Amino acid sequence: MTVSSADAASAPLFECVDVSYSYYGRFLALDRVSVRVDAGEKLALLGANGCGKSTLLKLLDGLVFADAGRYHAFGTEISEDHLEDEQFSRAFRSRVGFIFQSSDAQVFSPTVRDEVAFGPLNMGLDPQAVAERVEDTLAMLGIAALADRAPYQLSGGEKKRVAIASVLSMNPEVLLFDEPTAALDPRTQHWMVELIVELHDVGKTIVLATHDLDVLPLVADRCVVLGEDHRVALDGPTASVLADVDLLHATNLVHAHAHLHAGAVAPHVHPHDSGHH
Amino acid sequence: MTAPTDVTPRRARLAPDWLLRTEVGLCPCGCLGKPRRRNLVARTLRGLSELVRRAMFSDDVAGAPGLLPRLDARVKVVTLLGLVVVAAFLRSIPMLGAMYVAAVAVAWMSRLPLRSFLARVWLFVPVFTGFVVLPATLNVVTPGTIVVPLGTWLGGSVGFTAEGLESAGLIVMRVALSTSLVVLLTLTTPWARLLAALRSLRVPTTVILVVAMAYRYVFHLLTAVDDMYTARRARTVGRDLDFRSGRRFVAASAGALFGKAHALSEEVYLAMVARGFTGEVRLLERNRVATRDVIWCVMCTLAAAAVLWGDRVVG
Repeated sequence: MTVSSADAASAPLFECVDVSYSYYGRFLALDRVSVRVDAGEKLALLGANGCGKSTLLKLLDGLVFADAGRYHAFGTEISEDHLEDEQFSRAFRSRVGFIFQSSDAQVFSPTVRDEVAFGPLNMGLDPQAVAERVEDTLAMLGIAALADRAPYQLSGGEKKRVAIASVLSMNPEVLLFDEPTAALDPRTQHWMVELIVELHDVGKTIVLATHDLDVLPLVADRCVVLGEDHRVALDGPTASVLADVDLLHATNLVHAHAHLHAGAVAPHVHPHDSGHH
Repeated sequence: MTAPTDVTPRRARLAPDWLLRTEVGLCPCGCLGKPRRRNLVARTLRGLSELVRRAMFSDDVAGAPGLLPRLDARVKVVTLLGLVVVAAFLRSIPMLGAMYVAAVAVAWMSRLPLRSFLARVWLFVPVFTGFVVLPATLNVVTPGTIVVPLGTWLGGSVGFTAEGLESAGLIVMRVALSTSLVVLLTLTTPWARLLAALRSLRVPTTVILVVAMAYRYVFHLLTAVDDMYTARRARTVGRDLDFRSGRRFVAASAGALFGKAHALSEEVYLAMVARGFTGEVRLLERNRVATRDVIWCVMCTLAAAAVLWGDRVVG
């Protein structure tokens, strides 16, 4: 179903209504989840491990399909049948980019240059235009020197940059990041946060899955918190989500403990990813 | 800084006694032991992993400025596979030998490391062909003039016959030549170009898709094998795996590996689909047939005609 052009301006980019998904029909990942993503937003999907964040991202990217509920993107219902259509699939894939958590899974071509060219070539762009895009993207991310290297020769941080370059070269409107700061050293984490902010500043819509609360105020304006029951526990501005300690505690995003603070034992809570100070 | 008072004692209470003691895996005499050579399983796994990794990712060689790397991939596929078909029709060992010498010369002109090129072929041929044709060289299978007597069996003499040796030599030479031609193709053509060439030669998309995915998974699979074995070694105290426990380890790991490979293959496939992959292999550089490709085609055709004529004359 397609919305009329009059409604298009106010229509959300993505809208999931009561979607449920389970792996192998047995392991529930999403339970009646409703999420709306508007153009130009920075949205974070928050939740503990195994609550369904990555599955929701895959669903938004049309890589898995809901067992129940509806999902619309750009005003059109996204289903397996629709994505079978080559024209529709190409248009959808070029508008939505997905940076996977595991760069190893995402970086699979013989060289970095081939990897970054993979998406634009599949979009049907002219090889000359693709070559220019590849050079620009590599230069922008500071990995031009890696162009002829094999992905398996790269470090974790370098692979992450290549994975991002391979998606940015398609110039998608929406960028989906799965745990963007996970397993990165502090400098690369900082680089990643700055990149997300810059991409948002140039008009990209950002949706990211994370449980890294430290960087949350920088990378998200709104948060959807998924509980361990695979349902939406809260949907609201980042500041109010971070202020709701009881909710963060209940959804396993912070843990309470006690240790020394200025010489006195003080019980308090920590985000799971945060180092103890 | 004072030690945390509230947390550590609670952890200490939870920890069993043995966890709070240090245990060093020393020899009973107190020495640190002698470094041992890695055992058969270790060497085999590492060796295989390294060999396949080099073979699969030898794009450095494929990009080198030799004779074959500079040719169009489609031209190479057609000509080299055409020569494999010609080899299948040859019935004289001298003609097969002449073609083999020419293949080695082409490998040299393509700046392939000759030692590795020869090893790839001659390590493979005895294992997959030599042992299979060996019985056919005996007079009990192929009757004829015994040229190398081996003794007597059931009252009759047993030995290698001239006819048996000739037919075995023919098969071995044919396999060695065909393998050399295929190795020439794969070593001098990057995988992405090879797949694109096969696609442009109307090989079905499904076949290309299967080969492309297999190529990507093999690398991940090898990494998983390496990691599993390293994790095992990191927890091995005392003697490393003997052959029996090594065999058990390999069998047990195979199941776990399939599970891992399946999960990873799913991720790799989704990552490809997410970037618009539909089974069509597209390349940054377009294939163009140049003058050198035409010259190569003419030379291959002339060579094929010459050996077929020579085979008829000699045979």
